[in-house]
Amino acid sequence: MSLPGPFAVGAYARKLQEEMRKRARVQLIGEVTGVGRSKVQAYFELRDGDGAVPCAIWLNDLEKAGLADGALRDGAEVVIAGGPDYYPGGGQASPSFSFRATDVRLAGEGDLIARLEALRKQLRSEGLFELQKQLRRPRLPKTIGVVTAETGAARRDLVAGLARRGWDGTVIWAFAPVQDRRAAPAIAMAIQDLAARPEVEAIVVTRGGGSLADLWAFCDETLCRTVAMLRVPVISAVGHERDSTLIDDVAAVACSTPTHAAEAAVPLDCLAARESLERCALALRRAGEGAIGSRSRHLGALARGPARALQRERGKLNQKIREIRAASERGLAGRVASQHRIGTVVLERARRRAVGADMDKRREALRQAMVTLRAHEPERTLERGYALVEGEAGEPLTSAAEARAAERISLRFSDGRVRARPERDGAA
Amino acid sequence: MDESERDPSVTAQPDSYEAAVERLEEIIDRLDSGQAGLRETLELCKEGKELVNYCAAELDEVGEGLKELRLDDLATRLEVSSETGA
Repeated sequence: MSLPGPFAVGAYARKLQEEMRKRARVQLIGEVTGVGRSKVQAYFELRDGDGAVPCAIWLNDLEKAGLADGALRDGAEVVIAGGPDYYPGGGQASPSFSFRATDVRLAGEGDLIARLEALRKQLRSEGLFELQKQLRRPRLPKTIGVVTAETGAARRDLVAGLARRGWDGTVIWAFAPVQDRRAAPAIAMAIQDLAARPEVEAIVVTRGGGSLADLWAFCDETLCRTVAMLRVPVISAVGHERDSTLIDDVAAVACSTPTHAAEAAVPLDCLAARESLERCALALRRAGEGAIGSRSRHLGALARGPARALQRERGKLNQKIREIRAASERGLAGRVASQHRIGTVVLERARRRAVGADMDKRREALRQAMVTLRAHEPERTLERGYALVEGEAGEPLTSAAEARAAERISLRFSDGRVRARPERDGAA
Repeated sequence: MDESERDPSVTAQPDSYEAAVERLEEIIDRLDSGQAGLRETLELCKEGKELVNYCAAELDEVGEGLKELRLDDLATRLEVSSETGA
């Protein structure tokens, strides 16, 4: 052996203590387990899914931290400040390593969120958020598994949600603690056992709302890795809408309430599906009957076709006959009217011709008569130098006796009258 | 059985309710289009009726009262049956 030493172990132990105490002081966050007390200090383990550190705090430091009575208890998420220490033991006392805490406080939301985000980033980078989402989820599962607390509103709400879906299949309950350090491994085991059953087609993991610390089991790395790797779809409904746990990220579906989880586990609304199915059955029946009925009517129409065509042709023929007859009658009447018009014109022309010749003759005869008549007019005689003897009333006196008998007479010449009184000589 | 020997009147069982509904919707669409001839219409109606019956049976399976089992009880039963060799 070429190593230094041998050294006295007690001296080495004290040296180790010195070296330990030189290490940087840090803060640790984790879950408290195995709390115990001695007369001078409290001791516990601080752990998370990856490991644990034994811790100790002097009672006077614990008192100065100002925690409420009983706050340092199993399951509490705490942040401690301090550094590693080593107790070298003594002649009778056993040596021990511990993280010497000088301050302790309950972990706040900020502490947990920081841890959660780091873990979320890690799992996302490994692609674990996508695996469950690629699984096929049956729309109508016959059997679903449910991991939840045996007592609690989540169980009741889930059953009510399934009832509203009209779904009355089989539920296999896997009851598990949902809030303490035992919760995460118990939930993981329940999920695995359910997934191992071939009849289970989907798994619901649910619990009611709470603080992030209350829901911390559902951010457990081991649990989330287990869920991500399952081949059965997991539906998470942890906490309320505002709560976001890591199991929501890795699950196939994350729901805000157990009622929504019921709808995600049984996507088919069975009540609506039954109504839809009845409509489909009716549509099929109508389609079948309609296809036969319409073709039957078509065939019937075809069978009646020749007679109907004959009737149609007969109708057309009759129509033609009527049209021809009407046209014929119209043509005859036209010709008669035309002949009549022609005859009238001819007769008129003949009449005109006949009347015209006659008129000429008559006009000539009339003219000659007028000439003759004028020749016999008294005026013509007077113009030749004769005179007409008229009585007082203008009546012609045609004898000497009448002239002698008249008191007064008038001698009418062609250019005027001369009144005269006949002389009475008695001889006449 | 050879494919050619299979009775064409026997329609293959759907893989799932979803597959049955999907095929049913295709059939209704085809019938609604009015393009199917008489023979095709009657065959589609027959297939559709079988799918409706299948879906109704699937719905009936989850419509006769909620059955609630406990995983612990099932595990215990499994252990007992394996111990007794049943």
